[in-house]
Amino acid sequence: MGKIEMKHLFWMLYACLFVSVLVEVLLHLSPHFHAHAAFVWQEIPGFGAVYGFIGCILIIVVSKALGHHWLQKEEDYYEKH
Amino acid sequence: MIEWLHPGFIYIFGALLIPFLKGKWQKAYLLLLPVLAFVDLQYMSTGVFWRIPFLEYELVFGRVDKLSLVFAYIFVIASFLMTIYALHVERSGEHVAAFIYVGSTLGLVFVGDLFTLVVFCELMAISSMFLIGYRGTRAAFEAGLRYIMVHIFAGACLLGGVIMHVQATGSIAFNTIGLNDFASYFILTGFLINAAVPPLHAWLADAYPEATVTGAVFLTAFTTKSSIYVLIRGFPGVEVLIWLGAIMAVYGVIFAVLENDIRRLLAYHIISQVGYMVCGVGIGTTMALNGATAHAFCHILYKALLFMGAGAIIEVTGRSKFTELGGLYKYMPITFWLYMIGAFSISGFPLFNGFVSKTMVLEGAALAHLPIIWLLLEGASIGTFLHTGLKVPYLAWFARKEPACEAREPPKNMLVAMGLTAFLCTLLGVYPQILYRMLPYPVEYAPYAVGHVIGMSQLLLFTFVGFWLLRGMLHGTPTITLDTDWFYRIGMKKFIWFCQKPLMTFSSSVNNGLMKLVSSIVWFSRNPAAATNIMVNSVAFVVLRPFNPVYKQYARNLEELKKTYPGNPAKSVAVGTGVLLTLVFLAFYLTIYFIYA
Repeated sequence: MGKIEMKHLFWMLYACLFVSVLVEVLLHLSPHFHAHAAFVWQEIPGFGAVYGFIGCILIIVVSKALGHHWLQKEEDYYEKH
Repeated sequence: MIEWLHPGFIYIFGALLIPFLKGKWQKAYLLLLPVLAFVDLQYMSTGVFWRIPFLEYELVFGRVDKLSLVFAYIFVIASFLMTIYALHVERSGEHVAAFIYVGSTLGLVFVGDLFTLVVFCELMAISSMFLIGYRGTRAAFEAGLRYIMVHIFAGACLLGGVIMHVQATGSIAFNTIGLNDFASYFILTGFLINAAVPPLHAWLADAYPEATVTGAVFLTAFTTKSSIYVLIRGFPGVEVLIWLGAIMAVYGVIFAVLENDIRRLLAYHIISQVGYMVCGVGIGTTMALNGATAHAFCHILYKALLFMGAGAIIEVTGRSKFTELGGLYKYMPITFWLYMIGAFSISGFPLFNGFVSKTMVLEGAALAHLPIIWLLLEGASIGTFLHTGLKVPYLAWFARKEPACEAREPPKNMLVAMGLTAFLCTLLGVYPQILYRMLPYPVEYAPYAVGHVIGMSQLLLFTFVGFWLLRGMLHGTPTITLDTDWFYRIGMKKFIWFCQKPLMTFSSSVNNGLMKLVSSIVWFSRNPAAATNIMVNSVAFVVLRPFNPVYKQYARNLEELKKTYPGNPAKSVAVGTGVLLTLVFLAFYLTIYFIYA
């Protein structure tokens, strides 16, 4: 992939991020919209975005820590032990 | 009147002919069988068929209702796609194993009694083992052996449970079992192992990545999903399954981060995805059960597609580790894009099939007011996209400027199979009514409600942001990850060491002791009188030594005694003494005789 193409892709990504949150904010502002939320957090616009971002970082950091300190072993572990 | 054949028998008996056909004929025949089975399914009417009396019970091979039909349809469709993927394989044995595996799964889907259920379960386990063993490597052989041992254990749990159940109820009919007695605990354990629910899941991530390229694709679909079918049938609304399922969904995701093997990462995502289904079964409402069924249906398609993509890489490069892959986009762009459709589907992107089924389970959790479960399942979605949608494609197809090795697109049949599977994934995503009409309960659910679409899109898009920031942490490392298989892989080794070392030492010392005892008795009996003399003298010698001024002389006498032992016992007794002893014994005998006679 060329450099210019990557740049364009990233602009598209930023646009998507922005639009996905904007649409939800607008929806919640609209007087005709009635959220049939089962949980409190579903009424907060942008909850999905925050949860996605934090969840992603948590998953990476927590499992890497688990692996580094405990679960990951050299490839011939089972032959050696 | 039955106008249809049992579709499972089409596969099982059809498989027996495969080795006798060669070349193009064999390929045509392989494709014909699933088509026949599919046509057969069209002619099936609901009801109970194929009852066979057995002892005082009745075996039921054909219980046909909406639930069994939807599973049968997806199994047949999947087997068709997978057979296309495997068409280039020359070894007939591999095809035979795959077809018996599919056939026994179909048999299991239609059973109406518990005995036949056990039989088909065992048949599945045995036939699927060959799909691992045919890889031919030592690792595959060992993994296959562990795989079959775990499944034999599961089968034993199931059989034990079934026998107890039959004892208690007097009936072998397979209906809702529920969790109420020991029998049901055993049966449930059997199927929790087959569904790979932690901590009984390690066999899956251990064995699937070692299977043949095409065999692994078959393995992804049948064992775990047929267990989901059994759970829906036998254990709907069993509460413990809600938590097991949600934990399972997150567990698979966490372990997938650590994996360096492309198919092992995907195998952990099978565990994660099956978690949604197990959770749906546990919730047990019509929405959740529909969701579990729909998710099983969609999962079979996209997971097959993902394994096909990973298999294509292994097929052409012979490599499966992220540390040895990268930059393959230059050679395999078509495979990449087809894989990505599978990745978007499993992640639950709108317009792909994972979205229309996964959100049903989430909706089921929401309607049952289970906030923590909902958050766990939603969190697992993040991890799913993170690995299968971002990490795998990034590390396999990009990540390096120069490709890690030479590669090319895989054989045409593989690409065709992937294309068709990708088409179905998208079709069901765009037009979910096809799937919803097949579900066991009426569907009152609109997946494309604005809230669902926006929530899921945000979640996944911002996952990408997190990934891009931390992508440096996600590079593969040349390691393996310990899982609960450690307990039997290391535990068994330790057990065998215990048998060989401490236990053997103990047994040989017991053995030696006994031998010494026997030989001393033999020694003693050669001349009891002289032996007693020697023993008494030796003890006296040791005890009296400090007080004995002539102990050297004494020691010499003792040596003399030992040397001449056993001597001649007969000579040392005079004839008179012998006669006297005989008379004494005779007198003794007579006395006794007169007293008691």
